[in-house]
Amino acid sequence: MVNRTPVIAIIGAGIAGLEAARQLNDLGYKPILIEKAPVTGGHVAEWNRLFPDMSPAADLVQSLESQTAKVRTMTGTEIASINRLKDGYSLILSDGETLVCEAVLFATGFHLFDASKKEEYGYGIYEKVITNRDLEQWFNTRHDPRIGHPKAVGFVHCVGSRDVKAGNTQCSKVCCITAIKQAIEIKEEFPEAEVYCFYMDLRLFGKKYEDFYIKAQRDCGIHFIRGRVSEVGEAIDGRVVVKAEDTLSGKPVKVTLDLLVLMAGIICNSDAQHYAQQVGVAVDDDGFLKSRDNVGAIVESSRPGIFFAGACTGAKTVPETLAEARSAALAIHRYFSKRG
Amino acid sequence: MRERFANHFDPFVIPFLVGMAFVLGYYLIGMIRVILQLPKADRKRFLLTLITPKYIWMNIRDIFLNCLIHVKLWKRNRVLGYMHSSIAFGWFMIILLGHLEVILFVPERIHLFYYPIFFNYFVAETEQTIQGSLLMFLMDFFLLMILSGIAIAIIKRFASRIVGMRRTTRLSLLDQVGLYSLWSIFPLRLLAESFTAHISGGSFLTIPANWIFRQFLGNDLNALPTWWAYSIALGVFMCVLPFTRYMHIPAEMLLIPMRNAGIRIRHPRKGFALLEVYSCPACGVCIDACPMSVRKVNCKDATVYLNRQLRRGNERRIEEISDKCLLCGKCTAVCQVGVQGPELRMAQRARRKYALSPSYSGINVRPMAAAVAHGAGGDSGGVLYFAGCMTKLTPSIRRATTSLLDKAGVRWQMMDPEEGLCCGRPLMMAGRSEQARELIAKNAEIIRASGCDTLLLSCPICYKIFKEEYRLDGIRVVHHSVFFEELIEAGRLKVRRNGDLKLVYHDPCELGRGCGVYEEPRKALAAAGELVEAGKHHAESICCGGSLGSLTLGFEQRRPMTQNALDNLTVADPDQIVTACPLCFSTFVHAADRPVRDIAEILDSQS
Repeated sequence: MVNRTPVIAIIGAGIAGLEAARQLNDLGYKPILIEKAPVTGGHVAEWNRLFPDMSPAADLVQSLESQTAKVRTMTGTEIASINRLKDGYSLILSDGETLVCEAVLFATGFHLFDASKKEEYGYGIYEKVITNRDLEQWFNTRHDPRIGHPKAVGFVHCVGSRDVKAGNTQCSKVCCITAIKQAIEIKEEFPEAEVYCFYMDLRLFGKKYEDFYIKAQRDCGIHFIRGRVSEVGEAIDGRVVVKAEDTLSGKPVKVTLDLLVLMAGIICNSDAQHYAQQVGVAVDDDGFLKSRDNVGAIVESSRPGIFFAGACTGAKTVPETLAEARSAALAIHRYFSKRG
Repeated sequence: MRERFANHFDPFVIPFLVGMAFVLGYYLIGMIRVILQLPKADRKRFLLTLITPKYIWMNIRDIFLNCLIHVKLWKRNRVLGYMHSSIAFGWFMIILLGHLEVILFVPERIHLFYYPIFFNYFVAETEQTIQGSLLMFLMDFFLLMILSGIAIAIIKRFASRIVGMRRTTRLSLLDQVGLYSLWSIFPLRLLAESFTAHISGGSFLTIPANWIFRQFLGNDLNALPTWWAYSIALGVFMCVLPFTRYMHIPAEMLLIPMRNAGIRIRHPRKGFALLEVYSCPACGVCIDACPMSVRKVNCKDATVYLNRQLRRGNERRIEEISDKCLLCGKCTAVCQVGVQGPELRMAQRARRKYALSPSYSGINVRPMAAAVAHGAGGDSGGVLYFAGCMTKLTPSIRRATTSLLDKAGVRWQMMDPEEGLCCGRPLMMAGRSEQARELIAKNAEIIRASGCDTLLLSCPICYKIFKEEYRLDGIRVVHHSVFFEELIEAGRLKVRRNGDLKLVYHDPCELGRGCGVYEEPRKALAAAGELVEAGKHHAESICCGGSLGSLTLGFEQRRPMTQNALDNLTVADPDQIVTACPLCFSTFVHAADRPVRDIAEILDSQS
């Protein structure tokens, strides 16, 4: 294994994996992308437009894909097992191939919380209840019989995140702004519709996020109701009846809606936990992979040759993920430079 | 037989007499106190049963079967059953036979308390008779039986796993004194009787022992000190008895007649509750049974420790244990004495004074009552379906239930289509029965207004309180699992059986242990798929961990309990987990590795 160009196995060809592959390729290494799904791009490829500039998600994914065209990419490939070698790792792939590499980069991303587990919201039971992902897909395909021409639309924030009952106490970080983005998009699509957002807190930390919120309130007339939805029922005509508490006025509210969008939260990827176990990388109490240091070394694991990028260590926005992918590429470069 | 001593007395009997006088006095005073603490109506009822022949027979039978033979323990664990009944029944027989000996051979001494106990010291054998040797044989036989029981007890104390217990209680200092004095009584008796066996006679145990001792001791100087030791061991045991777990022996003898009389716990420290607390033998079976014990820190919250703290009056711990409990009732199900852990805790919770006590008496139920009266079209009869808050949060259950009602052609209407009131059970569990009663009155008004003849519930929490606390004369209260089973039986509901569908049924606490419904849901499920059993099921089913019973357990603390319950349910590797409680359902959904469904959903999808 000595004196060859270091091979880096990148697990996951979402935006983190693609960006890291691009950087590593430029730095003269030999990255190999392994993707479970038949296509690359991950969750972002399923999205329509990205905040804050409403830039098309497809543009970003396409640009990343074209810049990694030379990188060996194995789609539709799962990892059967990962083993530690003396100074590297060997990956046994689902097609039977064994891949020997000097470093492994986890770009395994996240899972979207299964909204049907919050049964009180009626996803999978009531016709008119969809998730944030369903709505993005509708923006892409314009095909979803559940949506039609709604006159009243509700967004429920924090579905399966910040929810100890659902087993996920962490904040998903991106859903507040995603909900506002989607609410504005719905309002633009159906100007007559009344749009409600049921939230616990609005965590609008990023660049231009606050502007988005003000725009939603002032220009679009979207109603923000602070309080969790307690119960969702179905009226005889198939519309959904939402009961919630407006904690600012201290009164219960009940609205009948044509569409209810659940902002399903970001949870850890269980496959990543499985791989982490095999190579002896620690998993944090929230289920995400544990960095060597949460301030100074987020992209490094406690084990030499294992690196992290993107949402495998916790919920992240797109720009954060891209920045982390570059940072991981540099960390890998430093790792090999030191090893000489 | 002839007596060896003219004055029929020796000072060594004094420790025994002191102990006996103390324990009898203590017990008598305690008994009177408990009876006096009962509310007047209860006391009258109890005293009446004591002179009713039917109850007298029942009491004698139950005391014999439970206190001496330990029938319940035998059913649960044969080794422990043998251990307890050998000691209790053997000891009882030795005392009985001792009296028989005195009556047969020295009837004029029967008034002496200590004579039957120390008979062998006071008499010398003059001739061998059939009945004499038979009695001697029986005495040795029962002594051997007790000694075998003590041997198991010693093994159990140091390696409880051998007798099938994972955890056992940690003993207090006085309990240890009691334990060691109890262990020493019978070996000492064997020694004492062996030393005097060549004078008083003996049988297969004492005669050979006597012969062996005489081979190397050669004199009788050891006899008297051993009889002293035997008496002292008895005296010590009886003197510490009221302050140890062994108080359960006398306490249970009063508990059984009181339970037979139907007395209930009204106050956590008085009357019947006090008796239950003292009847706890601190065996620790409830520790392994308690669903909270999967977390080691919660082992000390089992009912056995509540009883101990109630005896000690440790208020802080009593409150903590009372509030934490899930009220699943499993400790009572496995308890040999039947100590009602949940009822003790609810009585304790009821003592709390709240700064704020909301009143529900002002709620206007007239619109709700009018809605159901209108919905029925003024007709009487039919089914009134109360979904309750938990089923409202699990719309799939409500949908499946109403769909099944339609399929079976049942005339039904919803009691809470829009608005609804709480059934009151959560308040009851929190010890706020006064507020619960207000809600009960309100709900009863709506139900009566509907003119229905059946009240259908899909939530066992509601079902329990509707069944037990509501006075709905003439209206049948039924859980959906039972109702659908009847519809299948009557042929009104056609269910297709899918033999490839492996189902396990989880007994919800409130439905199983709470209301005794075990078989109907299983029968209904067997009609839809292949039913397999969990590791522990029926009365020993494990709480899902989501119970409303606990006032202080957080979700993080409940999670390992849920996981443990799921591990128990999946031992036979079922395809789906089926329950009949919306709360169990929503607790399991978040943690299960396979689909979790309500019984109504299964039946609906297969019909």
